[in-house]
Amino acid sequence: MDAPRPERMSAPGKTEPTEAIARARAGDADAWGVLYQEYASAIFRFCRRALPTREDAEDATMDIFAKLMRDNRLLQYDQSRSFTAWLYKVAANHCWDVLRRRKTRQDKETDDLENVPLEHPDPNQLDRLIEQRTSEEVRRALDKLGARARMALVMRYYSDMTYDEIADALGVRRAFVGVVLLRARHELRQALGQGGALAAGGTS
Amino acid sequence: MQHLDEMTCLMYIERQLDHARAQDVSAHTQDCAACRTLLRALERESRLLTRAMLEEEEALPARLAQFQERARRSMQWIWTVAFGLAATGVYALYSNYIRPWQDQLETAGFGGSNLLSLLIFQGALWKGWESMIKLLEVLALVTLSGFAVAFFRKRVRRGSALALMLAGFCAAMLLQPASAMASETRRGESVGVAPDETIKGDIFLFGERVRIEGTVEGDVFLFGHDATVNGHVKGDVFAFAQQLQVNGQVDGNVRAFTNTMAIRGTVGKNVLTFDEVVNLESTGKVNGSLTIFVENLNLDGSLGRDLLIFGKHLTLSGTVDGAIQMKGNLLTINSSAKVAGPIRFEGDKEPEVSPQAKLASPVDYRKMEHRPEYMEGHYYVWQVIWLAAFVLFGLVLFQLMPKFAAEAVGNSERYGASFGLGVLVLFGVPIAALIACVTVVGLFVGISTFFLWYAALYFAQVIVGAVVGQWLMGRTRETWPLIGRMAVGLVIVRLATVIPEAGNWIKFGVILWGLGAISLALYDRFQPTLAANTPSAPYTPSLPPNTTVGGIQPA
Repeated sequence: MDAPRPERMSAPGKTEPTEAIARARAGDADAWGVLYQEYASAIFRFCRRALPTREDAEDATMDIFAKLMRDNRLLQYDQSRSFTAWLYKVAANHCWDVLRRRKTRQDKETDDLENVPLEHPDPNQLDRLIEQRTSEEVRRALDKLGARARMALVMRYYSDMTYDEIADALGVRRAFVGVVLLRARHELRQALGQGGALAAGGTS
Repeated sequence: MQHLDEMTCLMYIERQLDHARAQDVSAHTQDCAACRTLLRALERESRLLTRAMLEEEEALPARLAQFQERARRSMQWIWTVAFGLAATGVYALYSNYIRPWQDQLETAGFGGSNLLSLLIFQGALWKGWESMIKLLEVLALVTLSGFAVAFFRKRVRRGSALALMLAGFCAAMLLQPASAMASETRRGESVGVAPDETIKGDIFLFGERVRIEGTVEGDVFLFGHDATVNGHVKGDVFAFAQQLQVNGQVDGNVRAFTNTMAIRGTVGKNVLTFDEVVNLESTGKVNGSLTIFVENLNLDGSLGRDLLIFGKHLTLSGTVDGAIQMKGNLLTINSSAKVAGPIRFEGDKEPEVSPQAKLASPVDYRKMEHRPEYMEGHYYVWQVIWLAAFVLFGLVLFQLMPKFAAEAVGNSERYGASFGLGVLVLFGVPIAALIACVTVVGLFVGISTFFLWYAALYFAQVIVGAVVGQWLMGRTRETWPLIGRMAVGLVIVRLATVIPEAGNWIKFGVILWGLGAISLALYDRFQPTLAANTPSAPYTPSLPPNTTVGGIQPA
């Protein structure tokens, strides 16, 4: 439980290679190399969390960078804002595209968005569940989630994207991002093996 | 007390509530232990999620470690050139070789649609061949369309292209008409059709000795050591035999693959054969044309139309009512010979023509030139065209089966195993296919196997090309860079194979090696232990509520 928390790519204090970004925008292939070296592993990990298999993640990482370079999408990047956040947004859009195209589990998920779950789970039971689960178990549970649930959790808790960005990537209204996240948590708890009572709403 | 709902709590810890609402929540939690616990649990859940997703440091896979884009970009023009050359090659191949050949064969009396069907598929051969051609066409079309889809819509999943191809294959298999079903099959040590017997339809005969004494109203298919046709066949005869004797009457065509063949009877239509020795004896008569790939042909009987021969030695004593065209070593025309049409002979030695022979015109002789191929300019043009075709072939295969191709390339570095298996497959598979062909049921399987094996010979070179490319440009696991390396490597491999003398050995080694690598990859595919490692489906369905996952005890 006390694993050292690795520094997030977007951690404050880490300077972004603005010079390389500017050169890459101008089409400098070496600068692209620098950016790739810098960000490939973070994007790969993002994709690894968001997509079902390792190969999918590898493909997606290559595709994301290839597309960025081929179409020089960097021109769309607003340099006054965080490059990392922008890159995650691109990655999220790509992964969501990939998932959506596969249509796996989608049908089940689209209908019930407005069905806001307002139950109140048993706080103590939830607390115990969270306390007992290891990161490893959570990772395994994440793999069992539906595409959107997982995508939402990854965007929010891995790449620290804002609700607006998440809404944008998933194509839902901003007001529903919270719902998506909450439902994702319920799904996760279910997958963690204790979902029944908590997700359905326990007593207070 | 009214508790906060979970949504509100989540929005609170995510700082998504407006100021007033947040203050309400804050005030409520001062008094309500349950809601405080819920807030804390939610917050811990957030942290647990973040930690779970961040802490697993997965190393960047090797294929991502290299920055590939530049190489890929510089490769683009090569594809354009390769496509252009391949298209030119196909056209040139058709107009220079196939078209004239076809014309030639048509004038030789083979009315037919194309060279392929003329040579092998036409007429008496197993009727399933016709569906085989259709199958090949379907396959070719499906492959092309799959390739086009994969190429132009890069988004499409490669699996679906392959699935499409397989579906096409299966559909073609199902559509294949069961025409061969109507026929009769006999097998045994010594089989045949008795003198007083009449077979209404087609007949397949397998045996050490095969004799037809009676009448067959359909086609005859002979597989055996000694085959004799003494009776009357109203259809065509197709024979695979050590020795074939046609003493009776065949109203249709004869197609034969034999060691020696003797015709003493009458063949109503054309004869096409591949053999070592053929005798058209003085009593023998072929009303149509004779197209023959042979070492020695003795023509004492009569031939109604043209003679086209690729062989070492032709001895002509009989009558030919059409033209003669020969490519070979020696032509001997005896005094009793009569030829109504022109004679063209391209060979090594001056033809020996008896002055008593009745020829419509003197022999048009051209000495065959044995200049080494590589002394001629067009040889290099063809090499380049072939290279482009190879690259294109590799491109299609790598696009359709990227994983398999990558595995095969990987396996080729198990040198010993590759070469060993290569030897086995190179010689073993055609033998197995041949054996399969001898059984009627296996004929289709055998022929398909043979085609696959033949394609694998080319694929082998592509695989070795990719390996050589990787030696030069570094490893990669991604498809496009691998294709780029394959193209570069193929250039080198093809260059090595055109070296005089040594080139053929290099080619042989390359084929052994590549074929072994492909077989290893195939072998691995069929290993159940490995199959378990490959993810079969992108998602595992979620478990029903209250299911304990991975042995976790409920709290």
